[in-house]
Amino acid sequence: MALISSILALRRDKRILKIPPYLSALCVIVGIAWLLVLPLNEYSRGTYVSENALLPGQVHTYFTGSEHNVFRAYRHEVHGLIDKPVAERSQRLETIFREQNLKVATQHYNYTVSNRTIANENVYAILQGPRADATEAIVLIAAWKNMADEVNNSGVALVLTLARYFKRWSLWSKDIIFLIPGDSTSGSQAWVDAYHDGHDQRYVESLNIKSGALQGAVAVDYPAGPWGQRYDKLHVVYDGVNGQLPNLDLFNTAVQIASGQMGIGSVIQRMWHHDNSYKDRLQTMLRGMISQGLGHATGPHSSFIPYHVDAVTLQTVGDGWHDEMSLGKTVESLFRSLNNLLEHLHQSFFFYLLLQSNRFVSIGTYLPSAMLIAINFSIAAMALWVKSGRRTEPIANPASTQPKSKPASSADKEDKGDTKPTHDIKHAKEKAPAPQQPATELLEIDGALAIVPVASTTVTERALLIPALLVISAHALGLVPLYLFNNWDADHLPGLFITTANIITLFPIAVAFLFNYTSPHILTLQALTLIQCFSLLLLGMFLAALATLNFSLSVLIGVACVPLSFVRRSTNMGINAVQLGMLALLNPCMVVQIGTKLLGGNLAEILVTAAQGWHIWGLWTQVVVWLVWFPAWIACSVVVASGIFD
Amino acid sequence: MLSSLCLVLLNALVISVAAGSDYHEQLLLRPLPQNTLLASFNFRSNESAAAFEQQNFRYFPRSFGQILQHAHAKELHLRFNVGRWDAENWGQRPRNGAREGGTGVELWAWVEADTEDEAFARWLTLTNALSGLFCASLNFIDATKTIRPVMTFAPEGQHANSSNLHLLHGTLPHEVVCTENLTPFLKLLPCKGKAGISSLLDGHKLFDASFQTMAIDVRPICGQGDASCFLEMEQTVDMVLDIARSKRPRDNPIPRPLPIDQLECDTSKLYNAHDTCYPLNKGTDPAWTLEEVFGKPLRGACPLTEQSGDEVNTVCINTPPERTVEVRTTGQFAESKLASDTVRCYKLPTGAHFDLVLPEQKMSTGLVRPDPQIFAARSINGHGQERGSTQSIIRNPSTTEAVEIVYLESLPWFMKPYLHTLRARVDTTYESPIKETYYRPAVDRKRGTHLELRMVIPPSSTLTLTYDFEKAILRYTEYPPDANRGFDVAPAVIRILSPQSGDNRGVYVRTTSLLLPLPTPDFSMPYNVIILTSTVMALGFGNIFNLLVRRFVGIDEAPALGAGGLKGMLLSKITRLRGLLGKA
Repeated sequence: MALISSILALRRDKRILKIPPYLSALCVIVGIAWLLVLPLNEYSRGTYVSENALLPGQVHTYFTGSEHNVFRAYRHEVHGLIDKPVAERSQRLETIFREQNLKVATQHYNYTVSNRTIANENVYAILQGPRADATEAIVLIAAWKNMADEVNNSGVALVLTLARYFKRWSLWSKDIIFLIPGDSTSGSQAWVDAYHDGHDQRYVESLNIKSGALQGAVAVDYPAGPWGQRYDKLHVVYDGVNGQLPNLDLFNTAVQIASGQMGIGSVIQRMWHHDNSYKDRLQTMLRGMISQGLGHATGPHSSFIPYHVDAVTLQTVGDGWHDEMSLGKTVESLFRSLNNLLEHLHQSFFFYLLLQSNRFVSIGTYLPSAMLIAINFSIAAMALWVKSGRRTEPIANPASTQPKSKPASSADKEDKGDTKPTHDIKHAKEKAPAPQQPATELLEIDGALAIVPVASTTVTERALLIPALLVISAHALGLVPLYLFNNWDADHLPGLFITTANIITLFPIAVAFLFNYTSPHILTLQALTLIQCFSLLLLGMFLAALATLNFSLSVLIGVACVPLSFVRRSTNMGINAVQLGMLALLNPCMVVQIGTKLLGGNLAEILVTAAQGWHIWGLWTQVVVWLVWFPAWIACSVVVASGIFD
Repeated sequence: MLSSLCLVLLNALVISVAAGSDYHEQLLLRPLPQNTLLASFNFRSNESAAAFEQQNFRYFPRSFGQILQHAHAKELHLRFNVGRWDAENWGQRPRNGAREGGTGVELWAWVEADTEDEAFARWLTLTNALSGLFCASLNFIDATKTIRPVMTFAPEGQHANSSNLHLLHGTLPHEVVCTENLTPFLKLLPCKGKAGISSLLDGHKLFDASFQTMAIDVRPICGQGDASCFLEMEQTVDMVLDIARSKRPRDNPIPRPLPIDQLECDTSKLYNAHDTCYPLNKGTDPAWTLEEVFGKPLRGACPLTEQSGDEVNTVCINTPPERTVEVRTTGQFAESKLASDTVRCYKLPTGAHFDLVLPEQKMSTGLVRPDPQIFAARSINGHGQERGSTQSIIRNPSTTEAVEIVYLESLPWFMKPYLHTLRARVDTTYESPIKETYYRPAVDRKRGTHLELRMVIPPSSTLTLTYDFEKAILRYTEYPPDANRGFDVAPAVIRILSPQSGDNRGVYVRTTSLLLPLPTPDFSMPYNVIILTSTVMALGFGNIFNLLVRRFVGIDEAPALGAGGLKGMLLSKITRLRGLLGKA
């Protein structure tokens, strides 16, 4: 009892109430510092292959000799199809597959996104494993066009050649599907959706032939023309849609086969020159986090990962001495490894940050950083909740005015612990003897009497309804830009963006002004505190939950939102102006715009890609932006803006 | 352009007219498109019912016969299957699918018993005995994998007392069929793979085939009117060999790229050069010989076969008449031509090797391959750990005739179908194709789901059958060692009721099996928990044990052993020893 009362007494301690902002700041600082130490050797680990069945690089590869001649011929064939219409191209690819005695089918897809039509055809062929029973399959992909919109000439030719070569082997325990999607992102998405029967038949054709459960997918991206081009390194792309990642074993196998067996160096996240320094590791990790946080498709493999099909893209980069046959051998060896799998890839990590091709940080090590950043908002929310229940004006010390009346110390202590009056407390209000003196009252608890200031026992009711409604409406408001950005015409998207950016920057000031002008009693100080409290509470909850799904997005948004837990309504005009200016800089639209500038992107393209992602890939990033980040920003900005009109 | 020739039904060749005790074997070869070859082996041994009852076995294998007698199995069908029949390219299934099973092992039998429980006990006896005989995990066919089909299977034999016969059916879709199953299969034959066509059956080639099925069928046959019955045992092997793959020598089986000078190029391509070669599709039938394809020579006829009559022709090949077929043997053989010369049959020499040699040849005519009556495919849709749906697509290619089928699903208990989600749609009509439903729901850990549907598919229509199911969570001990692979779901069996085939065996089509991923716990977790618990236990135990056995004495009570060094240590040891001895 004594313990509880002393803890309750602590709650009123002013020193305790000053702690939360510092605690919040500490969480943020430790959270970010946590990220920064991850690239050090002590906090990261070297990659290793967990699944024993994979045995990367343990097989001889025989994809050489006359297969090269065939490859060159197919490369010419593919080159000849570049300017042909889609239907003719599909037909020719089908013919080549059919000559190899494979089962072939074509799938048409036709999406309309932002008033633009994305229509193309996927050609795929199934090699039925001689002793397989159609229960499992692995996929080899070469998109007709790669992410840079170049024709994947050598990549497609390589898949055709490998199909012919693989057909001769008897050892396949799984079916092999050769897939040539019309483009790198929507095509493979249409195919994999239809494969799992999760497609909308208005836009995507159902598949005529299917095989078993997909166990893995490997995409090749090798846009060299009919005369070939030797490359230097393999760029392994592994990010899936919504920041989901393939099993680390698949990635490790690809890297280990490329480097160990074939002697091809591998790079990740466009870090063409990685010298294994702290700076490069950190940069790789941050690039990986940005890519994961944005959650967009990064290649034909991305669409497979949400279906729990582990997939990577092998992309050739640079000028070196490796030729197409070494890429073919890498794929052959990789497929032999996947063919060995008895079980679905499950041994290794699904949540990791890669620092270079053979170093990673696992979820247990990095997750606290996002959690700390998320917790900072919860702490701020709790502090605001306590604050909202307190009187705004300071309690004058009655002892200084009435030195004669000495209150019983024990009763005084217990009173201070109780904000809510209990049934055994009798109130006996006294009229204050003088107006300048604070009102006091006489309390009787268990026979003990005490005279305390009225202010310290008055119950401060929290009016929850209006703040809660306002926060909910801020979240509902997010649906408007979410809808508009996903459905507006592609040509008008940049215009919409600029308009939205301007509107939402001025919106909080307008709201604050309107409330102040029409009904100033609604936005009382307590209501404003509660608005910020609810909004931060929700933000903290969402970000903590998001951290377990998409760590990077949670960190990125968490960092962008950090000021929200520190801004307060101030009576000082200058402080308000500074706070508002900072918030204006950190509003979602500005952050997107500045981020685009810094990363060298094209805003219009990004907006179209986002809309495409929403409709085709099932991208959730904009939901997080407009329904988590944007409402929190609006709520806190309104709180700050209301200070201007006092 | 291949002009069509005469159509020969494979089953027309396998004439089942026999009497008394005899043995007969036949091999039918049939080149299929895409350089593949269908080889259908058929071994038939008869034993009169009287001799069988008295355990007087002549051609009928004793080990097998005694099992049947012990388990009171009156009719038995056992199947071992690997691979898939590619109906689109290869046409109708061999023997109308009646001698074919689903992937893995499939067994069904009519057991004589007075009650259902007795029938099931005898069924367990049968599966356990067969498991030992065939080196297959047939003993894993327990109550959860056994169903009692109602419409799908009909007895092939003539049974005198059919009222107390019980049909039981079980499948093992995950069973991998391999040479350990072939050896006992061959041992049941009178010539045991030493002579006759069974000498061609070699595990390396048989199990490298694109499709292969081994079947054993036992049925009683009674003559019309008279009471003389005999028991027929038919052993069949159907396999589809990839000729190019089978011809690879055993000492060099790796399909290395051809040497550049052996690669045949399409020189009409503009880019054709010394280093660029578009592979030429010659469109010729490849060359092969029996010995090359099967990896073993055919060692003449089995001397136990009939030497006269209709059934002396042991090896038959079904090709267009223009195809050159040379016989290479040192012994006496006889050739006869049937069915407008599209079937050439040979009577094998006894005691001498026999080989057929087919050179590479450009063909102008081809054989008409009979189209299958239906095409069926089944797949799992959806993803995730909780639920999914199954979709079966059955297509009737006939433009004139409707097809009536019975569709049988035998699902494991942990795959729980929602029958209210069962939808059968035909794309050409709104009428429901389901005419009759038999459903026996699963009981957890006791029995699986059994679903039979009688359906009619109108001409040139596609039937889509879907139902949703929920995945159960198993107890951790119920997972197999490779839990993350998923669980195999037995193929659906489709029996075509009409149009009927000529014989009484029925027409069957089986879909492929399915892989059902179930929610799988992280099995390293119990391991971690065990380690953690053990550590805590060890710490706790260590402390308590230490307190219990240690004797606490005051420092002044302890003998003056304070002096360290060797002497002190020795002294303390001695004191301790004394203490121990003194206590004892």
